[in-house]
Amino acid sequence: MQIEFVLNGKQTSLDVPGEMKLLDCLREVLGLTGTKSGCEIGQCGACSVLIDHKLERSCLILMRNVANREITTIEGIHGPDGGPNDLQEAFLKYGAVQCGFCTPGMVIAAEALLHQNLNPTREDIKSALSKNLCRCSGYHQIFDAIEETATNRRNQKS
Amino acid sequence: MKKLTYVGNSDVKQVDALEKVLGRAKYIADMQIAGMLHAKVLRSPLPHARIKGLDVSPALEIVGVKAVITCADFVNNGSWGWPIQDAYILAYHKVRYVGDPIAVVAAETLQAAEAAVKAIRFELEPLPVVSDPREALSANAPLIPEESPTGKGNLCNQHIVRNGDVDAVFSQSDLIIEGEIEFQHQEHAYIETEGSLAIPEPDGSLTIFANDQSPFINRGNIAQVLGLQPEMVRVIQPPVGGSFGGKDDINYQNSSQVAKLALITGQPVKLVLTREESMVASYKREAMRVNLKISAKKDGRLQAVKAHLLADSGAYSSMTPLSSWRATMHAGGAYRYETAHVDTDSVYTNNGYCGAFRGFGNNQATGAIEVLIDELAEKFNMDPIDFRLRNVLRAGDRAFTGNSLKHEPNVARCLEWVREKSNWDQKRAEYAAQPDKAEIRRGLGVACYFHGSGLGGEGLDYAISLLKIEEDDSITLQSGLTDYGQGSRTVFSIIAAETMDCDINRIQMLRPDTHTAEDCGPTVASRASIVGGNATRVAAEKIRQMLNLAASSYFDCDPAQIHRVGEDFVGPQEELASFTTITKHARQMGFQLSARGYWQIPHIEWDFDKGTGVPYFTYSYGAQVADIEVNRLTGKVKVIKIWAIHDGGQIIYPKGAKGQMLGGIAQGLGYALTEGFSYENCIPQKLNFDRYTIPTSIDMPEVEIAFLDAELPEGPYGAKNIAEPTMISTPPAIANAVYQACGVRTRQFPIPVELLKMK
Repeated sequence: MQIEFVLNGKQTSLDVPGEMKLLDCLREVLGLTGTKSGCEIGQCGACSVLIDHKLERSCLILMRNVANREITTIEGIHGPDGGPNDLQEAFLKYGAVQCGFCTPGMVIAAEALLHQNLNPTREDIKSALSKNLCRCSGYHQIFDAIEETATNRRNQKS
Repeated sequence: MKKLTYVGNSDVKQVDALEKVLGRAKYIADMQIAGMLHAKVLRSPLPHARIKGLDVSPALEIVGVKAVITCADFVNNGSWGWPIQDAYILAYHKVRYVGDPIAVVAAETLQAAEAAVKAIRFELEPLPVVSDPREALSANAPLIPEESPTGKGNLCNQHIVRNGDVDAVFSQSDLIIEGEIEFQHQEHAYIETEGSLAIPEPDGSLTIFANDQSPFINRGNIAQVLGLQPEMVRVIQPPVGGSFGGKDDINYQNSSQVAKLALITGQPVKLVLTREESMVASYKREAMRVNLKISAKKDGRLQAVKAHLLADSGAYSSMTPLSSWRATMHAGGAYRYETAHVDTDSVYTNNGYCGAFRGFGNNQATGAIEVLIDELAEKFNMDPIDFRLRNVLRAGDRAFTGNSLKHEPNVARCLEWVREKSNWDQKRAEYAAQPDKAEIRRGLGVACYFHGSGLGGEGLDYAISLLKIEEDDSITLQSGLTDYGQGSRTVFSIIAAETMDCDINRIQMLRPDTHTAEDCGPTVASRASIVGGNATRVAAEKIRQMLNLAASSYFDCDPAQIHRVGEDFVGPQEELASFTTITKHARQMGFQLSARGYWQIPHIEWDFDKGTGVPYFTYSYGAQVADIEVNRLTGKVKVIKIWAIHDGGQIIYPKGAKGQMLGGIAQGLGYALTEGFSYENCIPQKLNFDRYTIPTSIDMPEVEIAFLDAELPEGPYGAKNIAEPTMISTPPAIANAVYQACGVRTRQFPIPVELLKMK
């Protein structure tokens, strides 16, 4: 079926089966491999994307349900020059990346949180990441990166 | 000593993190090549069965299917395995665990490959199974391997420590304590599953991309089972999404399978395991039963330790012969004894199969001894830290294995740090005064450890690094040791830049590639920083000397008169020459600006037959305190905070070291509380993250960590190992805290929830 949606800011129209998983469409059809597959049952968060600014697992979303919605993948998150944005810079600064496989999902989950709450407590950050598994880091450096980004974005706003 | 620029500098970032945060890093699953086929594996649904019939022809009739392979497609039926050659690339005659691979299909689409796997006709005749390792050695147990490597049925291997006459000392001891502690299997649960991509080259050779830890071992295996010269096989390691010891043997099997399929079809073939396949088929940390008997004198001084370890290797030996050796070498813990006696047996069962996992046997050894030592402290009515301080290894002591310690054992300093930082004395007293009937009970527990550095008696321990200043004055660095997230690429880059006094941004660390790197042995045993770091330092010192010589020619002075300010070279009249000026001059002099650095761990010897010798040239040390609460209604344990200190020598890459410590604690937390990879009658019970629960962001406690201010003289800039030991004392620290909270001494890891509910 023909499906229209906004992908990383661009109006997109695709002819794909409605039952195709968004994850497969992104990776196999569109070649956007930054979104990872880790469990295919919505438990690990490696396939996280933003749909209308909300955190979703793309392995659980069928293409027919994304019509007319706004999807952001990790490829759509970067600074104005194509390099890292402030959050991604903070991930580098705090050593929040080890193997990097969960990292795109973590960045997406963090952006979803910061979109709705620029003043998160440590507990808010923990809850926001609770569906994104990381096996390397023990999470704390990721919390630190998000905390600092929230502070900086708050300061920029005021 | 000169002030260090990069070593120990907490501003240095991971050298390859940028592509990862932007989602641009290409892992195996992300690779697409024109004409690439997809592979799918037929796996055994039974834990032990004879293959009575196998007909792959129906699979070949499915549209899009290009090839199907079985064991018959490999040299000697694909027999492989090291140190014991007891495995097959695909099952031969029989299957030995649920998930054992039987056949592999390559097809144009994954859907066709899946359909083809379902179409394969096979008949399995069930055989009796062994699930309990204690029954594996009984006379009527079915034999799991084709032939017993020891001549004693399912006994896979044995290790011993013989240090004096324990029984004589036991007979004169004031106090003896005994206990058996049981550990379940643990799954690595890297978020990226295993994957291999084989590309056939026009000359009949193969290029393999695999997310393995040790590309040279992979190359050797592929060449062996395909009957090729090793030079005909090139293994390249792309970014790896976590490994923790888990991506070796399973990947060698996968890589050999896709390599064969690529040769048959003439097309690239990719295999990426699903999560369920990864959990069912990949090897685990060995389940283990540790029996301990420890004695002490009236004054609380330890005298003797006797241990028996029984490791469940599962269907194949994989690395169990070596990890059970490391368990044996740590069974007494970081304590001083008069005498010690250890017997370790590894046995075959039909419970999956077991191999390398972060800690490599020391998790079970330390987990058990630290629980028993805590119990012994209580018998003496002594504070657990006081009791440990009375007995831990000190300068001039011998380890329980009988070897004298070459370097200062820093375990007492680690214990003192956790005592102070956790406010131990006050908190222990407060928690001891809690009302007995409280629903939520707090507890504070401690554990300490030592961990032998490098491979030890397992084998020759060396590495080779290659450094080259390119024409554009960028510098390429190559090592056969790999980075699967633990940060070794950054560690090597830091050491190279520090030693050459060049800008770290000049350094491009190449990907491990068996065609361009030199064999450095396996990337295991937390050995990369010491061995690979030293090899890099040696190569960088050679280049530094060459450039100094060039600078002395440029300034027309003695080399000793040259000094460096940042990258610049300074001559006797304080005249400056830039790095690029000197490299240009060096080239004009005819210098070849490349170097090969070799370094080997000081030679040691362990006599495996006598159970005596020197197992490791040095050890790292550490201690952790856990502050926990137990809900007596649900039995659930919540870890509130962990204080952790590790003696990793000089820290090279602080952000990475911190990440290793935090990640190690997280894996220890899972091992202590939730992660038992259980088998029921040899059937795995947890095949995805919905049932196999690893710690989430919410489970992670508050953590206060430190690295001891210490240096290893032989280490690069004084560095030691970090990655593995950081996780091993977390489970016993939690268990000991649970005991203070509710008076229940666990004998099992993970700690059973049922045990902690109020009766």
